[in-house]
Amino acid sequence: MTFWEKIQNIDRRWIYMIVALCIIVPLLIPFNSKTYVTEPTVNLYKKIDSFSDKEDKAILLSFSHDASTMAELFPMEVSILRHCFERNIKVFLICFSPPSAPLMAYALNVAKEDYPDLESGVDYCNFGYKPYGLFLPIVLGMGDDVGEAVDTDADGRKVKNLEIMKGIRNYDDLNLIIDFAASAAVFSWITYARVRFGANVAAGVTAVMAADNYPYLQSGQLVGMLAGLKGAAEYEKLVDVFAAYEDEQYSDGRNFSQEVIKNTWVPIMKKTISYTSGETNVQTDVELPYKFKQARIGMNAQSIAHIMIIVFIIIGNIGYFLSRKNKNEV
Amino acid sequence: MFEILSNIVAALLTLFIFSFLYKDNPFYRFAEHLLVGVTMGYAIPLVYTNAFIPFVYQPIFLEGQYWLIIPSILGILYIFRFTKNLSWLSRYPIAFGMGIVGMGVPMSMHSSVLVQMRNAMRPIDNINTLIIFLGTVTILLYFYFSKPHKGLYGKFTNIGIWFMMVGFGASFGYTVMARISLLIGRIQFLLGDFLGLIK
Repeated sequence: MTFWEKIQNIDRRWIYMIVALCIIVPLLIPFNSKTYVTEPTVNLYKKIDSFSDKEDKAILLSFSHDASTMAELFPMEVSILRHCFERNIKVFLICFSPPSAPLMAYALNVAKEDYPDLESGVDYCNFGYKPYGLFLPIVLGMGDDVGEAVDTDADGRKVKNLEIMKGIRNYDDLNLIIDFAASAAVFSWITYARVRFGANVAAGVTAVMAADNYPYLQSGQLVGMLAGLKGAAEYEKLVDVFAAYEDEQYSDGRNFSQEVIKNTWVPIMKKTISYTSGETNVQTDVELPYKFKQARIGMNAQSIAHIMIIVFIIIGNIGYFLSRKNKNEV
Repeated sequence: MFEILSNIVAALLTLFIFSFLYKDNPFYRFAEHLLVGVTMGYAIPLVYTNAFIPFVYQPIFLEGQYWLIIPSILGILYIFRFTKNLSWLSRYPIAFGMGIVGMGVPMSMHSSVLVQMRNAMRPIDNINTLIIFLGTVTILLYFYFSKPHKGLYGKFTNIGIWFMMVGFGASFGYTVMARISLLIGRIQFLLGDFLGLIK
């Protein structure tokens, strides 16, 4: 039996083992890799950024997934929340399925850990879990009055009495809805909130769902889209380079620039920065918290695993064609 | 302490599920059944406190909005789905639900058909619009079955098949990426939160 014939009959568990190693090693020994941002991610970033410091604009984050797809969607949720908190953007959260409720609270808690001054009901508001039967009444109702449609938040407070509601009445103000979904839930927001009221809709979806959403992106019905772990990694980078950027010149982040993003490489591992203190030049190591670079570290492993899968496909095809050739000769 | 315990339980259950990659076994089946049970156990009280209490019990029994008894009865009819003789009763709430879905048809037509058509009719002024035009026309021709796919017409429909294959390939590539991402997420948990090997 030749090598190629053996490869054709290899036990699939060996392949599982190799794929697992391709993921474990890059996670244990992380390295700095480049993340290239794509247009749908940049468009979403710029849209959110345009709401900075505005009293009469807010963003609604809708969570439509359970824990099984957390690996892809959780890093993008944390990144977008971090962006909103850095830029002083009002943000609301809502979910219509029971398993999404704890994930929504978890993402919010992880993101706001670094912003102790934020207040619930003032800077952000968690509407909490609403039964799916109320999806249509709430989505259509928010077109007239958000406070009336949602009624109470996760803590049981009357939404319209909250300070965050100053300047926020309907989709004219709550003008961007981002749905984090592992299903076709984004389509419902497009159908009811966009078509009926002209609200801007964006998607943070699992890679499986990305292909389904591209037609809506291409036709301009989605203002932006984060597709899977790659989309999350891109957004993490944009927040690092602009909204959360800090140095002597920019103490409060910097504005988006295509030139900056083209020329900036953000090391995800420990980096040394130098600054002048008095007359001395100080050098110090800074490291971003893991939660803000989780997707980019994950993409290291993803890249290695993809290369391995491509190698498997090539080897498998060579083996297939050689064994077919041998059979024909016999 | 709670975090350590919950991480141990989560890590064990993750390993139970992964054990299926070797072969089917009782640990995998235990974890699988536990997931279904826990999901239901979590959802029922959440729906009870967030749906039944505020939208049925409170308005009817505390606020006297008795007209809500009608939709409540309509909802209860769903339970008859589990009986052989009276299962027909469950069709009424389903019919009501379908009526509501019908409300979305004009809006779905707008977003999924009209806007997509409008964007497919743009002037062919760059390579992308040319590719979209070719793809749309040849795939539509492929799905026109009143003429045999032969000769020049067959060549056009073959181009449509190629476009579809590229589409399926992109979709499959994304699916592989998604599945690897989920594995990465679990391994990040096992190595990081559980074993503390990722800082």
